[in-house]
Amino acid sequence: MSSPAGTVRRSATSGTAADERRPLRSRRRLSRRVHWSLYLFPLPLLVPYAVFFAIPAIQSFQYAVTDWDGLSPTFNYVGFDNFRRIFTADDLFRNALFNNLEFMLVVLVLQTALSLVLALLLAKQSRAGIALRALFFFPTILSSVSVAFIWRFIYDPTIGLANTLLGDVGLHGLQGPFLGGPNAIIFVGLAQVWAHTGQLMVVYIAGLHQIPQDVKEAAIVDGANRWQRFRYITWSLIAPATAIVMAYTVLQSFRAFDLILGLDQIPPRSTMDILSTRIYTSFAGSEFGYATAESIVFMVIIAIVVWLQRRLVRMTQAGG
Amino acid sequence: MYQFARRGILLVYTVLIAVPLLIVITGSIKTNQDLFSHPFSLPLAPVWSNYPTVLGGQNLARAFLNSMIVTAVSVTVTVFLCSLVGYAVARIPGWRGYLVYGIFVVGMAVPAQVSIVPQYVLFDRLGLLDSLTGLALVNVVQTAPVGVFIIAGFMKTLPRELYESADLDGSNHWRTYRSIVIPLSAPSLAAAAIFLSVMHWNELMYPLYFIHDPDKRTLPLALLNFRGEYFTDYPLLFTGILIASAPMVVAYVFLQRYFVAGMTAGAIKA
Amino acid sequence: MNPTSGDNSLNRRQALRLLGVAGAGALAAACAGPGSGSGSGQSTTAAASTTGSVGGKISFAHWRGEDREVFDKIIKDFTAKHAGTSVRQDISPSQDYQRMALQQIKGGSSGDVFTAFRGAQFTDMSKAGIFVPFDGKPVVKNYKADFIEPGQSDGKQLGFPYQLVFNMPLCNADLLEKAGNDGSPPKDWDSYLGLLDKLKGLGVVALLFPGGSPADYNQLMHSMVMNNAPSDDMFTKIESGEYKCTDDWFITTLKQYQQLSAYFQPNATGTSAEAGQQMLATGKAAMMVTGSYYVTVVRKLGAKFPLNVLAPITVSADKVKYVGIHNTTFILGVNSAGKNQATAAAFVDYLSDPTVAGVYANGTAQHVTVENVDYTDPDLNALSPWLKRKTLLAPLFQFQNLDIRGAVQNAALEVVSGKSPEQAAEEAQRVVDQKRA
Repeated sequence: MSSPAGTVRRSATSGTAADERRPLRSRRRLSRRVHWSLYLFPLPLLVPYAVFFAIPAIQSFQYAVTDWDGLSPTFNYVGFDNFRRIFTADDLFRNALFNNLEFMLVVLVLQTALSLVLALLLAKQSRAGIALRALFFFPTILSSVSVAFIWRFIYDPTIGLANTLLGDVGLHGLQGPFLGGPNAIIFVGLAQVWAHTGQLMVVYIAGLHQIPQDVKEAAIVDGANRWQRFRYITWSLIAPATAIVMAYTVLQSFRAFDLILGLDQIPPRSTMDILSTRIYTSFAGSEFGYATAESIVFMVIIAIVVWLQRRLVRMTQAGG
Repeated sequence: MYQFARRGILLVYTVLIAVPLLIVITGSIKTNQDLFSHPFSLPLAPVWSNYPTVLGGQNLARAFLNSMIVTAVSVTVTVFLCSLVGYAVARIPGWRGYLVYGIFVVGMAVPAQVSIVPQYVLFDRLGLLDSLTGLALVNVVQTAPVGVFIIAGFMKTLPRELYESADLDGSNHWRTYRSIVIPLSAPSLAAAAIFLSVMHWNELMYPLYFIHDPDKRTLPLALLNFRGEYFTDYPLLFTGILIASAPMVVAYVFLQRYFVAGMTAGAIKA
Repeated sequence: MNPTSGDNSLNRRQALRLLGVAGAGALAAACAGPGSGSGSGQSTTAAASTTGSVGGKISFAHWRGEDREVFDKIIKDFTAKHAGTSVRQDISPSQDYQRMALQQIKGGSSGDVFTAFRGAQFTDMSKAGIFVPFDGKPVVKNYKADFIEPGQSDGKQLGFPYQLVFNMPLCNADLLEKAGNDGSPPKDWDSYLGLLDKLKGLGVVALLFPGGSPADYNQLMHSMVMNNAPSDDMFTKIESGEYKCTDDWFITTLKQYQQLSAYFQPNATGTSAEAGQQMLATGKAAMMVTGSYYVTVVRKLGAKFPLNVLAPITVSADKVKYVGIHNTTFILGVNSAGKNQATAAAFVDYLSDPTVAGVYANGTAQHVTVENVDYTDPDLNALSPWLKRKTLLAPLFQFQNLDIRGAVQNAALEVVSGKSPEQAAEEAQRVVDQKRA
């Protein structure tokens, strides 16, 4: 059978010198029949991957219907009781879900907007621009624990930088308890934006560089102003980059486990509890069965959010 | 007007990024009092004692070594094994190639939380908790999906004729892989290696679940524990951050282009 | 990225090793599932004995990083007495220790001698059977009997609570004196509020609330309920469903939190412990919600004034049952999964010696449960009157379920942040009900 990928590959590379040198028939036969030894290549990874990742991941469905505490030699099958509890009778899980979604929205909006603005400002190659790009990218390589500690120092309302600075410039109204207040999760989001905007700025810069120069020049000739050029040309042409940035940000915001741990403790206070920290709290409380059920719900939630977000991006692009 | 706004925005953002970093750097050679009373200024008198305290007393040196070992082994093994898979994916024709690719890539949709409890039990039974081998092993299998995604994705774009001419020359798969495909895939291997290095170096969740023995702690875990042990003496904490970040910072300074490429590839693929 | 031949051979070796492990893993994974026999801990029989010869390496697992140096000194003397022994301290911060120590210790890789927090951790650990009981050993007599009761389970002395801590706000005695308090407990709620008013009048933070540090701010709950609650096992009863967070006594407690918050520093819910210590040590705060365990820390930060502890009295003078809180914790135990139990037991015996306990107590400014200890440290002497006063064993540690405990504690924090006591109590009770099920 001839695969569609084969066709694509051939057409993509057709016209090269090698192509012309060889008769078509022999090439087709070669690409279909391969030496058996090729099937050995995936094995060294496939075996540990199956044993240490795939099987445990599948086993979690078995764990999820038990009340196992991780210590006892015995346990009971409780059917879907764990799931019923998660959906109907667990304020802590629901609270963590809402916090997580709020965190995601804050980061998604701020990080996407900011990384795009910075990319637009720094897309042109200049020595200063490249230096700034390197600086802005830098926090990406720090561990989340380090980022969390830096921000803990900034946010401490009594001795920290934020309130001290706000006080110095007379903005007493903006002083607050930050991580101690009801909106703690937003401030966690700001720390996340600080750390990762540079990385996504680079994705946008790569996207901007792919916009053909003549399109921009044509627009300038047509007398479009800066905003019009952005709105009608750049924005639609960097749509693929936007899709990447948003998808990555969404996934990241469900992984922000290290950051919360560094900023607070386990279990984190209710205002900073997100899904990953909630699951870890259940695990640490020796509720292995329940923690696994929570993690399966977690996976489904991520899948739904990612699906919704993709639809949303597609809709805005179709409309804009 | 545009230039003015542009400069303004860039200046503000530069300050936002640079000031926290400068505070960490200067803070590591300050006393507690000095840091709290003048966070922004240079130290009144530099205090170098934080470095030996952190490296010795907290055994951060040990954690540093552990992180080095785990990262080096897991990145090397992951890149090597993923490149083997990548080669197979690029060459196995038809649905079988897709199947191999799909088996790995579907793993990207599974958050670590789902597999971690059964993994914990399995590793416990095999005596792989509290072991660097166990950490390296779990790193390899957890990042296999993204590794295959980056590397196989690249190898699939290599011109088909390349493989075929090698076959015609009578080269076996191992030789084609080693002497043709690997050298040509170097950029994607480097990107994957850097992306994985940052991931493995900063990995916290698995060490947190799997490591209890203080001698087996990796840097992020040691840093997290650091807080309680020193009731957060911030200068010591900042010193810890600097030591923990040093290898990545040095690598970043020298390999900046690859870093940006690798982390971007990671973002695009992940 | 071109691997050298050296790298290549490493690759292969690693790959081979992984394959070997994978083979064993496939077997284990095939028959693994929740609950089935474990490779470590559980199956370990008490092959080792606590009475054999003393020698070899042991690990001492605990959470007191600040005690490292004192223990180093004690260990040095111990290993000098017993040639061929060595003791390694495995220290995790308290939060981590609370979470993970059980898993770690039952594996036997660490913690031949280990410690347990009083409360849920001790219960879990005794259920897991990792304590070698001390019954019938002469060392039991070194301790004051009622102090080591929290180390008992099912009538067996599983471990020795070693430290005696006063979980009450830590105070600057000079500032308190200026406000007219001589260090003795206030008579009633009004006189306590009066003291806070006077302290506030001195231009300092009257009561510093480190809302960023759960381990500290939650200590206030003990003293807030010690006289308010109708019984001494109030939190056991909340967990069993007999009492509710919406009961009058708990709502009253939350309302009093609301009153106290007027005397906290601004933005109290976010203040970290280190900020609080700094404020107390520099005389900017008169009292800090925490426990006597911070005495050494505050001294290290340069505090020169005398220190004391003082708990709020929340009721009228005729209703006062207790004037303070104590806790006996840091429960020393010998690990039944340990491979060198004889040496472990010898180390516990050594720590239980009044002279050694004295070295520990005076070196760390902590009281101990060992009898006939000579306290020479001035800070310890300053707190010694509390040994004779009527204090309640810290009640929060009655909780066995961390989520329930978290909900109750969170209610107080929410009230300090501005939520109404009734609403906070109701929300807490919902979580308690859900987690009891």
